[in-house]
Amino acid sequence: MHGILLILVLAFQNLTPEALKHAEAGMDLQKQGKQNEAIAEFRKVAELMPELAAAHVNLGQAIMQGGDFSGAIPPLKRALELNPDLIGAHQMLGYSLLAAGYAAEAIPHLEKIQAVDALGVAQLKAGRYAEAIGNLQAALAKRPNDPDLLYYLGRASGLLSRDTLETLKTTQPDSARSHQILGETYAIMHNAVGAEKEFMEAIRQRPTTPGIRLELAELYVAAGKWDLAEQQFNIESQLQPGDGEAAYRLGNAQLQQGKIKAARKALEHANTVQPGVPDTLYLLGKVTGLDDDPVTAEKLWRELLTLDKDSNLAAQAHFGLANLYRQGGKTAQADAELKEFQRLQKAK
Amino acid sequence: MLSLKRDPMFKVRAIAGVFALFAAGAGAGIFDVALPAGIAFRHENSPTPRKHLIEAMGGGVALLDYNNDGLLDIFFVNSGQITATQQTNTFARANERYWNRLYRQNRDGSYTDVTTAAGLSNAGDGNYGMGAATADYDNDGFPDLYVTSYGHNILYHNNGNGTFTDVTSKAGVATSGWSVSAGFFDYDNDGKLDLFVTRYMEWDFAHSKSCGTSPRFYCSPAEFPAVSNVLFRNNGNGTFEDVSTRTGIAAKKGKALGVAFADYDADGFPDIVVANDGMEQLLFHNDAGKTFTERGLEAGIALTDDGKRISGMGVDFRDFDNDGDPDIVITDLARQNYALYRNDGHGLFSYRSMQTGITALTNLNSGWGIGFVDFDNDGWKDLFAAQSHVMDNVEGLDASLHYLEPPLLALNHVGRFERAESGTTVASAGRGAAFGDMDNDGWMDVVMTVLGGKPQIFHNRKGNGHWLTLKLRGTRSNRDGQGAIISAGTRHEIATTAGSYVSANDPRVHFGLGSDTKADIEILWPSGTKQKLNAVAADQILTVTEPEAR
Repeated sequence: MHGILLILVLAFQNLTPEALKHAEAGMDLQKQGKQNEAIAEFRKVAELMPELAAAHVNLGQAIMQGGDFSGAIPPLKRALELNPDLIGAHQMLGYSLLAAGYAAEAIPHLEKIQAVDALGVAQLKAGRYAEAIGNLQAALAKRPNDPDLLYYLGRASGLLSRDTLETLKTTQPDSARSHQILGETYAIMHNAVGAEKEFMEAIRQRPTTPGIRLELAELYVAAGKWDLAEQQFNIESQLQPGDGEAAYRLGNAQLQQGKIKAARKALEHANTVQPGVPDTLYLLGKVTGLDDDPVTAEKLWRELLTLDKDSNLAAQAHFGLANLYRQGGKTAQADAELKEFQRLQKAK
Repeated sequence: MLSLKRDPMFKVRAIAGVFALFAAGAGAGIFDVALPAGIAFRHENSPTPRKHLIEAMGGGVALLDYNNDGLLDIFFVNSGQITATQQTNTFARANERYWNRLYRQNRDGSYTDVTTAAGLSNAGDGNYGMGAATADYDNDGFPDLYVTSYGHNILYHNNGNGTFTDVTSKAGVATSGWSVSAGFFDYDNDGKLDLFVTRYMEWDFAHSKSCGTSPRFYCSPAEFPAVSNVLFRNNGNGTFEDVSTRTGIAAKKGKALGVAFADYDADGFPDIVVANDGMEQLLFHNDAGKTFTERGLEAGIALTDDGKRISGMGVDFRDFDNDGDPDIVITDLARQNYALYRNDGHGLFSYRSMQTGITALTNLNSGWGIGFVDFDNDGWKDLFAAQSHVMDNVEGLDASLHYLEPPLLALNHVGRFERAESGTTVASAGRGAAFGDMDNDGWMDVVMTVLGGKPQIFHNRKGNGHWLTLKLRGTRSNRDGQGAIISAGTRHEIATTAGSYVSANDPRVHFGLGSDTKADIEILWPSGTKQKLNAVAADQILTVTEPEAR
C-alpha cells in the first residue's frame, strides 16, 4: 500500500482545487468507514481529472476495498493505460482479476509484481499446471505448511499428472505406458480382468520396464492369487535388485503360500538393501521364527522395537515375542511381552 | 504316512478316476453332488431389507441313526419367519415351510420325510432355529436330539420307537437368548454326556441396529454386547444342571458360534474350543472335570500369529498331522484366512495356516461348517468347508469378494493342504456341514446346508484306499463312547459328534488306512480304560465294546 499512498501524495500535488476537495473528502469518508460515499468522492476526482492515472488508482483501490473486485477492474485498467509502470495498480488489478475469475488475464500483472502465491493460483486456474507448481513451491518455501498453498499445489500436481497421462493416451494409444495407465484405471474401477489384460500388454511390449509387474502383482494379491503374484514380484525384484520394496513383497507372497525358506531369503535381501524398515523387520522376524530360528527372530523384533514402540507393528512384535518365549519355555518373559501387547492394544 | 502321491495305489486310483470321469460324464473329484430322492427340505431364513444379523446365521444339520437301522438319517434345522416390519422376538413356525425336518434313510439310498411321524413338527412356535447336537444322553441306545434357536432350545428324547418327545422342561436345558452351536461331551468322565451350548450375543428386535444406508448391510457383531456360553451337567436322571458359573464357563463372555471338544494336553479330560466372532478364540482347559480355565491366549489359539482377532465361526479339533494330538481349525471371514493351530505339545499351539497351505486356499473365502475328515482314505485328514460371505451384498463393498461361494475341499498331503475338486463349482450360501458315511461304504460323505436354499449332499465316489470304521459301545463310559481317543497305527481320532458349525456328525469313528489292510487299534475310553485290538482287518464297520474291567 506504500506505493498507493505515494501515488496519492503525488496526485495531490497536481490536483485542481475542486478535485483536491473531493479527494480529501473521500479520504475522510474512508477513515470513517463510509466506503460507498468515499467511492463517490473518488469517482468525482477521476471525472474531474480523467487523464490523471492516480485518480483512477484511488478509485479502483476504494472499490476493491469495498469488496467489489469486478468493479475495481475498469478504473485500474484505465490507470495502467495512462501509466503502465504503476506497480501498485498492477498488484491491485492482478488480485482483482484473479478474484473475479479472470485468471489468465491476471497472470501478467501478478508476474510484474512477482506475487508467486497468487501467480501460482492464477496459473493453476488457467490450466498452466507446470508453471503453477513451480510458483506454488516457491511460495511454500516462504510459508511452509500453509494449508491453502498445499491444497493448490496438490491440485496442480494432480491435474498436471492427469493431463500428462491423457496426452500420453491420446498421442501414443498403443504404447506400453498407455496400457499401464489403462490397467491402473481398471484396477481403480475394480475391473480386475481389464486391468490384468492391460498390464499384460504393457509387459509384453516392454518386459523389462520396472513397476508394471509390481502393479500386476498387487492385482493378484487383491484377488488372493499368491502364486501369480509371487511370479511377478520375483521378476520385478530381479529387474530391480536394489529395490527393497519389491523384495519385501516377494517375501510376503512366498510367506502367504508357506514357502518359508524362500520368503526368508527375499526378506533378508529386502533388509539388506533397505535396512531398518519396520515392516521388513517384523515380517522377517516372523519368517525366521517359522524357520525354527528363534534367536534371529527375537533379534529382529527387538530391533523393530527400538525403531517403533507404539504402532500396530510394535504390538505385533510384542505378541510374536510372547509366542517365541512361550514356545521356548520362558514363561515370565512371555507374560511380560503379552502384557506389552495388551497394553498397546488397549491404547488404540 | 502315505501321501496321495506316495501311495503305491495312487496310479491305479488315478486311472480309475479317469475311468470314472468318462463313466460319469462329470468332472473328476472326490464327490458326486446330488440331492437323493425324498429330500425336499429348503431352509427358510426370511431375509428382510432391514438385514437383521439373525437372518444370516442359521442352517443346522445333524446326522444320526435315530431308528438304529444302521443307516444315517438326516435332521435339518429350519429357521423361521421374519416379517419386514417385525418388532417382536417370536417367529412363526407353524407353517410347514418353517418346520425342522427329519429324513429317514431307506435301504435304497432314498429318504422319507418322517418329521410328523417322529413328533418333530413342533419346533417351538416362536423359536428361530439355528443348529443341532446329537448324542445318547441317557445311554438308552438311541440318539437324542438337541436343537438350538434364538428363543429357547429344545431337547428331544428319542423314545426308541421312531418318535421323539420334547423333554426340555424336565431336563432343564432350554436356556434363553441366541444359541448357535452345541455339543455333547462328558466333561467329568462320569459316564453321562453333558451339554455345552454356545451363545452368540445379546440381540433382540428392540436393540437391533441398522448398518449402512445405501446399501444397508448386516451389522458387525461388534455392535452388540457379548454373552456367556452355557454348560449343563448331566445328572443321570433325565435332568441337567446349569454349571456354567460353578465351572467358570460363564466367567468368559464371547460371541460364540462354534464349539468342539478334545483333550489337547492328554490329561484325561476333554477340553473345549469355542470359535468366537470378532473376538479372541477361547480354549477352556478342563481342570480334572471340576472347573475350566480359559487359556486361549497363553496356549496360542486366541489370535493369529500377528496378534489379530478373527471372526471365528466353525471349528474342528482333531489331529490333522498324525502326531497324536488334536489340532484346531477355525473358519472365519474373507481376508482373515482360516486359522489352523497346530498342537505343539506341552499345552501350546502355533498358528500354521501359511505353512499348511490354508492361507493361500482361503484368503478370499468365508467359511462356516468345517471338518478334518479323511475323504480319500489315504490316512491323512482332509478339509471340507461350507463357504459364503455373511453379507449378501459384499460385492458392492469389495469387488474381490463374493457372497456365494462353492465349498472348499482341500486334500491333506502329509500335512499340507491342496485344493481339490469338491464336486461342484456352483456357488451357494453354505452354512452347516455334517460329516458321515451315509451309505456305509467306508468313504465319508458330507451334508451341507444352504442358507435360504436346498441342502447339498456330497456323496463320496470312493477310491482304492482302505478304511476302518468303529462303532463304539461304552459300558463304564457313556454308551456311545463319546470322547474316546482312538489310534489306528499313526492315525488318531476322537469319538465326537460335535464340531463344524451348527451341525452334528456321524458318531462313528472313521479311519482312512491308505494301503494298509489291517491296523492295530488302541482306544482310550473316557472312563480311563485302555483297550487294544491287534491286526484289525480293514474295510469294515466294527463295533467295539468297552471292556468292563480296566
